[in-house]
Amino acid sequence: MLKMTHISKVFRTDLVETQALRDISLDVAEGEFITITGPSGCGKTTFLNIAGLLETWTDGQYLLDGEDVSRLSDYQRAKLRNQKIGFIFQSFNLMPDLNLFDNVDVPLRYRGMKAAERKDRIDRALDSVGLLSRKKHLPSQLSGGQQQRVAIARALVGEPRFLLADEPTGNLDSNTAEGVMELLQSINAAGTTIIMVTHDPSLASRSARNIHFLDGYIADTDPNTVVGQLEAVS
Amino acid sequence: MEFGPILRALLRNKLGVILIAVQIAFTMTVIVNAVYIINQRGELMSRPSGTDEDNLFYIRSIGFGQNFNEEVTAADDLARLRQTPGIVDATVINTVPVSNSGSSSAFLLEPGELASSVPSAIYYADHGSLNTMGLELVAGVDFTEADVLIRESSSNANADTVIITQALAEQLFPEGAQAAIGQVVYTPSDQAVRIIGVVRQLQAPWPLWEDIENAAIFPEIVIDGASLYLIRTEPGEQDRLMPMVEEMLGASNEQRILRQLRTMADTREESYRIDSVMTRILSIVIATLVFITAMGIVGLAVFSINRRRRQIGTRRALGATQGSILRHFLVENAIISGMGVIVGAVLTVAFNMFLVQTFNMPRIGWYYIPTGMLALLLVGQLAVIGPSRAASRITPALATRSV
Repeated sequence: MLKMTHISKVFRTDLVETQALRDISLDVAEGEFITITGPSGCGKTTFLNIAGLLETWTDGQYLLDGEDVSRLSDYQRAKLRNQKIGFIFQSFNLMPDLNLFDNVDVPLRYRGMKAAERKDRIDRALDSVGLLSRKKHLPSQLSGGQQQRVAIARALVGEPRFLLADEPTGNLDSNTAEGVMELLQSINAAGTTIIMVTHDPSLASRSARNIHFLDGYIADTDPNTVVGQLEAVS
Repeated sequence: MEFGPILRALLRNKLGVILIAVQIAFTMTVIVNAVYIINQRGELMSRPSGTDEDNLFYIRSIGFGQNFNEEVTAADDLARLRQTPGIVDATVINTVPVSNSGSSSAFLLEPGELASSVPSAIYYADHGSLNTMGLELVAGVDFTEADVLIRESSSNANADTVIITQALAEQLFPEGAQAAIGQVVYTPSDQAVRIIGVVRQLQAPWPLWEDIENAAIFPEIVIDGASLYLIRTEPGEQDRLMPMVEEMLGASNEQRILRQLRTMADTREESYRIDSVMTRILSIVIATLVFITAMGIVGLAVFSINRRRRQIGTRRALGATQGSILRHFLVENAIISGMGVIVGAVLTVAFNMFLVQTFNMPRIGWYYIPTGMLALLLVGQLAVIGPSRAASRITPALATRSV
């Protein structure tokens, strides 16, 4: 599904050179639910950006669904993101001026799908997160948990092969976070591959595999060890 | 196309949209009416006088000596001028077209029928006038030397033949120029004159006169102390001949002074100076308004893009190509500009109605409205293209940044 080999990423300015990722090699099988943990600045988000084709990398090879995506143009990467990848962001990233229906519609519009099919998919996606009845509401009229559910509907509406979640529960209280986590687990159970960045050890412990980042390296991939360390820190 | 969601989003942020739309509407109102006025002035200024203006100049001879004989001097001067190489012809005339100074009268079909009189500018000139001015005779014949009456300005005697313009002929005789030939018409003082020729065009001296195309030439030399010589040169000879003619006439008779050595082109420029200045001022107003409006659109676009950088990054993450983002902002601006030009079209018509009623201006041509709308839409799109391109280059990675 996703295979990274010796991926590294260096951010350069005129004065500073920052090694964000160092020699990352990773294989993610279809249907896996992986969590990424690590302290701030360790490269989790950079990894997620590269995995989601939001950012280019300096060295290494990346195969997505068997396709080498190292040399794709900006246009091709956008199309691939639209068709194969769903994103869930910590701050939900909903468009405040669009109602829920139009928010979920955003990725489908870029796919050039016909209106009737879009409507059918949007209604199903909103129904799956329990917000169909509020599709004409604006994001500001919803709670944080509800907004994140809309973001999940938006990520799922295009039926992506895998879902990237950047601290999806980071801005939610524990009860709401639990609801979102259950929703993600049910999505994974339905066959969608998920990579989730989180700071929360308890959430990390619920994934089949946890990858711990330190200073741009993958420090450990054993869930028990890493989660144990995180619990000790927290 | 994201027309629907963009429109709905814009309607939720009305203030900025309304301000720019109103600015576009007012700009369109002023610009369209200003362009209309400029075009009107342009048409006015570019109307031909019917003469060979490019090759015409004139000079006034004013006698002062006790022995000065204007009639003899004029005959002598005309003979000298006509013999000068490079000069096509010369005439002594009371005024020149487009000079803003001259005489007018009227013609009647029957004596005393003032109600049916047709107004006309009056030129008094000798038999060389048609050839000098380069007028095209469309019917009848030119004057001969025998037709020319030499009279004092105080005399009431008038020549009994006249050559008129086609426009005047058609007003007097709707059958046309040919029908006018040989007809006798009357002056307001009931003097009969016979039309012997019709020229295609000769404008009256007053550019803003509504009957500017009505003119008549009487074969008369009026002795009033000053003779105005109108001189036509071969093409390209004017600059060389003007100082030469002044020197030649000055040397030939020391009992007079020479004044007003000027070209017809200078006379036209001076007569239309106010129109020309108004055109320039309106052009500056148009350019300024377009610039300010374009800057307003750029400002709104830049503000809107800076406010929505995260949203743009998110759209890119969700699959928007750079072209999609560019298109998004162009469509957004087209909607705002579209609202502006629709309101602008209504205001333009209303403002034009005000101008028509207040200043007696002609009604604006219908095609000015769609042309103005398209022009403003184009200005809007051009103004927003830079900020939109900048927006399209926003990295999708911005979606995951926390700040």
